Amino acid sequence: MSGPTVARSPAVTRARLPRVLHPGAWWWWALGLATAASRTGNPLLLALLVAAAALVVTRRRGDAPWALAFRMYLLLGAVVVATRVLFRVVLGGGQGEHVLLRLPEIPLPAWAAGIRLFGPVAVEQVLGGLYDGLRLATMLVCLGAANALANPKRLLKAVPGALYAVGTAVVVALSVAPQLVESVQRVRRARRLRGAGGRRMRLLHGVALPVLADALDRSLALAAAMDSRGYGRTAAVPAGARALTGALVLAGLVGVCAGTYGLLDATSPGYLGLPMLVTGLVTAVAGMLLAGRRVHRSRYRPDRWRLPELLVAGCGVLAAGLTTLAVDVHPVLLHPPVSPPTWPELSPLTVAAVAVAVVPAWLAPPPPSAPAAVAHPSVPVGGPR
Amino acid sequence: MSRAGGAGVRGDRVSRADGAGVRRDRVSAVRVAPRTALVLILASLAAAVTFAWPLFTPVRPESTARTGEAPLIFLVLLPVLVALVLAELTSGGIDSKALAMLGVLAAVNAALRPLGAGTAGIETVFFLLVLAGRVFGPGFGFLLGSTSLFASALLTAGVGPWLPFQMLAASWIGLGAGLLPSRLRGRAETAVLAGYGLFAAYGYGLLMNLWFWPFGTGADTQLSYLPGAPLTENLHRFAVFTAVTSTFGWDTGRAVTTAVAIVVVGPAVLVALRRAARRAAFDAPVTFAAAPAGGPDPVRRPTVDGPGPGRRSAGFPPSTGA
Repeated sequence: MSGPTVARSPAVTRARLPRVLHPGAWWWWALGLATAASRTGNPLLLALLVAAAALVVTRRRGDAPWALAFRMYLLLGAVVVATRVLFRVVLGGGQGEHVLLRLPEIPLPAWAAGIRLFGPVAVEQVLGGLYDGLRLATMLVCLGAANALANPKRLLKAVPGALYAVGTAVVVALSVAPQLVESVQRVRRARRLRGAGGRRMRLLHGVALPVLADALDRSLALAAAMDSRGYGRTAAVPAGARALTGALVLAGLVGVCAGTYGLLDATSPGYLGLPMLVTGLVTAVAGMLLAGRRVHRSRYRPDRWRLPELLVAGCGVLAAGLTTLAVDVHPVLLHPPVSPPTWPELSPLTVAAVAVAVVPAWLAPPPPSAPAAVAHPSVPVGGPR
Repeated sequence: MSRAGGAGVRGDRVSRADGAGVRRDRVSAVRVAPRTALVLILASLAAAVTFAWPLFTPVRPESTARTGEAPLIFLVLLPVLVALVLAELTSGGIDSKALAMLGVLAAVNAALRPLGAGTAGIETVFFLLVLAGRVFGPGFGFLLGSTSLFASALLTAGVGPWLPFQMLAASWIGLGAGLLPSRLRGRAETAVLAGYGLFAAYGYGLLMNLWFWPFGTGADTQLSYLPGAPLTENLHRFAVFTAVTSTFGWDTGRAVTTAVAIVVVGPAVLVALRRAARRAAFDAPVTFAAAPAGGPDPVRRPTVDGPGPGRRSAGFPPSTGA
C-alpha cells in the first residue's frame, strides 16, 4: 500500500507525498457515491459503483484497524441482498407472470395478519428484491469505504465547536479502552500473587469489580489532569447571545416537528412537509453552530483542506450529480423494468459518473505506510522515500 | 445485599452534607436546564417519527412516488437531531470530572460490547448504562448512551446509517434509568433496575426492528408496511415481523442478560459508582481561595466545598491520553 509511483518518480510534488487525507474529504466522496447509488436501481451501475469504491479502498487505505473493516461491509451488503430476496420468496405473495417455480403454500392463521408463506416464485419478484437489495447494499458499501479510508480520530478533531465536549469524551473513551486490558492483567497478577483461585463468582468480584473501580479512579485522576490543563472550561457567554442561540434551536426544532408531521399527514398543505422540515433543520443547526462559534479553541496541527481534498470531495459530488442528471435524461436506463425482465443497460452519462467516482484512487495522495506513521497519524509527510 | 444497604446509607450522608438547602437524593453529573429539557423533548418527538414513520405513511400520489426517498430523508434527519441534543446538553459547559467519567464509562461499555457479540443475544452493554444512568442522573445517562455506542462503533469500525438510531435508543435507556424514582435503595432498587433493564432491552430491540423494518423487507411483501393503511393494520404487520425475526431470539437473550447482570453484579457496581460520584463531588461549587501565607504550597489552587477529600488525592498523572 506504499505508493510505488511516488517512490519511483524523482520529482515528487508536495501534493503527491504520502500523507493522510482529511477524513471529511473521504466522507464527502463516499456520501456522493452513496447518493449516486440511491438514485438508481440498475444492477450494472450499482456493481460498477461497488467496484469503484473497492478499488479506491484497496489503493488508498492505510493499515489501521478500521481500514480492515471494508470486508465486513461487503459481507453485510451480501446479507442485505440475500435477506431482501429471501423475504420476497418467503412472503412475496406471488405477483408476476414469469413463474420460476411453485413452492407449496403455507397459509398462516389470522393472528399472523393472514399472510401466506411461499407459493409461486416469479422472476419479477426476485429481480425486484435483488435490485432493491443491491441499491441498499451499494450504499452500505460506500459508507464502509468511508469507514476504511477516513481516520475517525482525526474526524473527531474536526467536529464543530458545539460538540467539542462530546468529542472529547469519545476521544477519552478511545484512549482508555486499550488501558482496560492492561488493568485486567494487573488485577489478575495481583490476585495470583495473593494465591487466589479462579472460581467463577470470585472471578467476577475479584477481577471485574476492581477493574471497574480502577477505571473510575482513573477518570478522577484524568479529570484532575484535564482541569490543570484547562480542559472543560467555558468562556462567559453574554445572556443575550445564549438566548438567541436557544431561540434559534428551539424554533428550528418546532419547525422540524411540524415538518415531519406535515410529511406524514396527507391532509396538510404541501409547504408544511419537506420545506418546513428543511427550514427548521437549517435554523436549528445555525443556532448550534452559532453557539459553537462563541467558544474559541486552538487546535494542534489542524487538518487543512488542500487541493487533493477538494478534488476527492468534488469527485464524489460530481458522481452524484452526473447520476442524478442521467436519471432525469433516461429514467428507463436507470430503473430497468422487471416486468417483462430485460437486460439492464448503461448510458454514457452513467459510465462517466463511475469514471469520476474511481478517480480518487489515483488523485488522492497514498497513505503513509510505515507503522510509526500510523501510530502518530498527525505526522503529515512521513513514509519511505 | 448488605453492601447495597451500605451504599444507601452513604448516599444519604452525601445528600445531607452537600445539599446547601437543596433536597438531593442523588448526584446529577450533567445538569439539565429547563431549556435543555424542552430541546430534548422536541427532538425526541421528531426522532420518534424517524423510527415510526412506516406506521403513519399516507397514501398520496407524490408521496408514494417518493417512497424510495422517505427513508433517506429520515436517515439524514436523525444524526442532525442527535447532534443538536448532544450539543444542547453540553452547552452549559460540562464539568471536566463528568467529561472524564463519561469517557471512561463509555470505554468500559465499548470494551464490554464485543464480549457478547459472538453469542446469540448476549448483550453486555445495557446493564452498566442503566446503573450509571441511575447513579449519575438522566443527563449523564443520555450522554453515556450516545458516547458508548459511538465509541464502540469507532473501535470495532461499525459506523453506518444504523449508528444514530442505536445511539438515540441507548440514550433514551440511560435517560430513563436516571428518571427512576430516587428514594429506592437495597433490594427494591435492584428489583426495579432489573425490571427496567428487561423493559429497556425489549424496547431497544423493538425500536431497532421498527427502524430496520422498511429496509429489511422492502416495499411489497406481505410483511412490509402498507402506505395509507390504518395504524392497527401496520402495527399488526410489524408485530408479526418483529416476532418472527427477533423477539424470541435476540431480544429475549438481550433482556435476560441485562436483567441477570443487574441482579448479580448490580449492587456491587452501584457501590463503586456511588463511591466515584461522591469522590467527584459533582455539585460542589468550586471556589478559589488564597493560600495561607508561608504555607507549603504558595500556588493558588481550587478547593472544593463539601465532601471531597478524595478529589485532591487523585493526583495529577503526567499524561492520561486525553
